[in-house]
Amino acid sequence: MTEEPNLREIEKKAYMSYHQDGLLDIFVGVYVLGFGLGIWAERFFDPGFGSIMPAILVAALLPMWIQAKRKVTMPRIGFVKFGPRGTHRVHGLFIGLLMMGLAMAFAFTLTQGGSPLWLKTILQYGMILIGIVSLAICSLFGYSMGLRRLYAYGLLTLILFVSGHLIGIFFGYILLILGATVMVDGFALLISFVRKYPLQGEKTIVD
Amino acid sequence: MIMAQLYVVQSADFLFLQRQTQMTPGNLSAHLSKLEDAGYVEITKEFIDRKPHTALALTKKGRDAFKQYHRNIKKIAEKLPE
Repeated sequence: MTEEPNLREIEKKAYMSYHQDGLLDIFVGVYVLGFGLGIWAERFFDPGFGSIMPAILVAALLPMWIQAKRKVTMPRIGFVKFGPRGTHRVHGLFIGLLMMGLAMAFAFTLTQGGSPLWLKTILQYGMILIGIVSLAICSLFGYSMGLRRLYAYGLLTLILFVSGHLIGIFFGYILLILGATVMVDGFALLISFVRKYPLQGEKTIVD
Repeated sequence: MIMAQLYVVQSADFLFLQRQTQMTPGNLSAHLSKLEDAGYVEITKEFIDRKPHTALALTKKGRDAFKQYHRNIKKIAEKLPE
């Protein structure tokens, strides 16, 4: 008897297979790492440098991610054009990262100068707020893109920011730890992906 | 299976389809020929990064046919006892 094809599952599997290469994690990790470096560098250089870092990073990393997909993923798993919904998910992720980065940079810059009382109150618990918002955004994208590891990244972000708030760790250092963790995880996924899907003509481990 | 894979994407190349269906190249090629002859799949040869590759996509006829098939299967499945 022919089974009813679960189209949602098929689409999810197709989408997930295209993003199990770890490249997204590497580039998001580099983004967060770079942002953290920018925030840290603001201590020694002109203020405002960290504020423009998110935009610079997205502008630099997005084309590199596209090229990496072409050189690494496509030769191994093939080329696919997802419908508008699939493409919009990834675009949304990059826009979300940019907006988050700009919001954090703006908030951080405000703490360097005078700011109204209400804002000072919010910023007092800003780390916890960022952690919660990050968890929510990661969970949203994790659900939308079917990438479960995004839930773990969101949880890690929350834990780091809450711990940072309680212990008093500098915001930039938290970003450095978070970025490095995500990047290393990305490289681990990339190695696993390259071994699982060798270039055509080579023996597969799956076989 | 091939139709379902192509239905959920805009287009895909031979390698992607092979990875998703886990069919052998010869088997997949034979099925694709039949689908192309039936007018359900269109095969386009194009260049990406100066390398030739083959893009596969469902035609409108193919999408309609698969939609109808999916509807029919769902109706049958609903009538089956638990």
